[in-house]
Amino acid sequence: MFEQIQFNSVAEFLQMGKYTFHVWSVYGLFSIFIFVNLFLPRVQRRQFIREQRNRALRDAQLAKNTAVEQERESASEESS
Amino acid sequence: MWQWFFRLGSPKWFYEMSGKWLPWLLVLMTVLMSVGILWALLFVPQDYQQGDTIRIMYVHVPVASISLACFPLMAVAGVITLVWKMKLADMVAKCAAPIGAWFTAVALATGAIWGQPIWGTWWAWDARLTSMLIQFFLLIGVIALRSAIESPDAAAKACALLAIVGAINVPIIKYSVEWWNTLHQPSSDFSMDENSAFGPEIWVPLVIMIFAVYIFFVISLILSTRNEILQRERRSQWVVDIVAKEQV
Amino acid sequence: MSDTANTVNISQPQGRAPLAQVSTFSAFKATLKRDLLIALKRRNDLLNPLMFFLIVVSLFPLGVSSDPQELTRIAAGAVWVSALLASMLSLDNLFRADYEDGSLEQLLLSPQPLYFMVLAKNISHWLISGLPVVLLSPLLAYMLYLPADAYWTLVLTLLLGTPVLSLFGAIGVALTVGLGSRGLILAVIVLPLTVPVLIIGAKAVVDASLGVPLGMHYALLGALLALSLSLAPLASAAALKISVN
Repeated sequence: MFEQIQFNSVAEFLQMGKYTFHVWSVYGLFSIFIFVNLFLPRVQRRQFIREQRNRALRDAQLAKNTAVEQERESASEESS
Repeated sequence: MWQWFFRLGSPKWFYEMSGKWLPWLLVLMTVLMSVGILWALLFVPQDYQQGDTIRIMYVHVPVASISLACFPLMAVAGVITLVWKMKLADMVAKCAAPIGAWFTAVALATGAIWGQPIWGTWWAWDARLTSMLIQFFLLIGVIALRSAIESPDAAAKACALLAIVGAINVPIIKYSVEWWNTLHQPSSDFSMDENSAFGPEIWVPLVIMIFAVYIFFVISLILSTRNEILQRERRSQWVVDIVAKEQV
Repeated sequence: MSDTANTVNISQPQGRAPLAQVSTFSAFKATLKRDLLIALKRRNDLLNPLMFFLIVVSLFPLGVSSDPQELTRIAAGAVWVSALLASMLSLDNLFRADYEDGSLEQLLLSPQPLYFMVLAKNISHWLISGLPVVLLSPLLAYMLYLPADAYWTLVLTLLLGTPVLSLFGAIGVALTVGLGSRGLILAVIVLPLTVPVLIIGAKAVVDASLGVPLGMHYALLGALLALSLSLAPLASAAALKISVN
């Protein structure tokens, strides 16, 4: 089945007969398509994790603040 | 017998299992696609009529044939959503729509580039291109409906129904477009899949590429479904654990 | 408008029979009659699709050419596309008023099979907005110099085709009835589904002027009509249940 490579030189391979633009634009488009589809989910995932962490940090900070405030309030109530 | 089916419906189980499958699928895809592309670019003999544009077929035909699988997939997921109210099925359906639209768009673009030297124009109202275009519109409709409905539950059901209606319509559209086209203008002497006349040196790499692109479709569907799972289950403990552990 | 709705509302059987015993057929008739009455009270809903149809068709000579030969070539397609757009435009008031005044919810709660209720609404909607378009089409075809042999085919294909457009459209309307801005999304969802009807209908008219036998065209349109009559109201009913919550 593998008879032989169809091209005699690299230049000929890159030229693809009369159809340089057609063949290479299709393969270029295809590689961009694959690349984008495999890496975009990865980016989105990182973004999600970053968001969740920030939210967790914020929530923790908020909980801490309210706890401090409550302590202060109860302390001021006791002193009065 | 139904146990596996409902276990499959658990997002957590799917997330864990797909995490184990992904590396293997990626390896398989890389191997198949490298072999297929090298074979297509280097070893496939030039066509006596089309010359080197025959190499475009090894991208166009796999992408186009897999984009056709998208509507049946969404319809099956839709039936599962409506009948068993399985959350995972809706997540898969939601992620399949944009991926299917991408596949359809790439199939259209590569088809246009392939058609240019043969028809002498970038766009021809050829039966296949036309029905592909209308399938693209249908997918855009599903995506638009999903983004228009705010309640996720209602959106899931509405999109499931629309996917089922669309899947019933796709073959009708295909046949009516073919019927319209064959009588409208003389069919071009070149047709895009005369597999019967091809020898093995032509179709073996094509089969390899079809498998490779199929696995690529599955991988990207799994990847975006996993993101969707994390997003929807972000309040449950196991997602919180993942968020805490993962290196970013 | 709402008092006309009440006088013939099926949910108030006026002491004759308990609701569950109202036969499906009489509920079907009552829904049909109610919708027709309401529509006849609102003249604008009757006129607007017709005016739209008229305007769109007269845009074609302005946009393409006033040359009779060129217009003859596009006449079939232009009339069919305009009819398609007109029926798309009139879809919006299919379930909308009923959704807003709550009678749609009553309909969903009624014990009669929803399929027939939705079918009744579809039929009355087509009688109000589809049939006038079909009846006006020969006049507009004349304005576009459609060949004389094709008039009957145009009317017949529209007569078979516009109900299919209405039935398919109802699914889209039912899916989007609860949304704030529906206009464009409805078109995006429904227009691709109507492609087969447009293809077959317009082609039949073209072929009629060429003298091609038309048995196949009518058979295909009839098959589409039968299919959508039996399945589309089911899908619309399911969609209404999803949308009204």
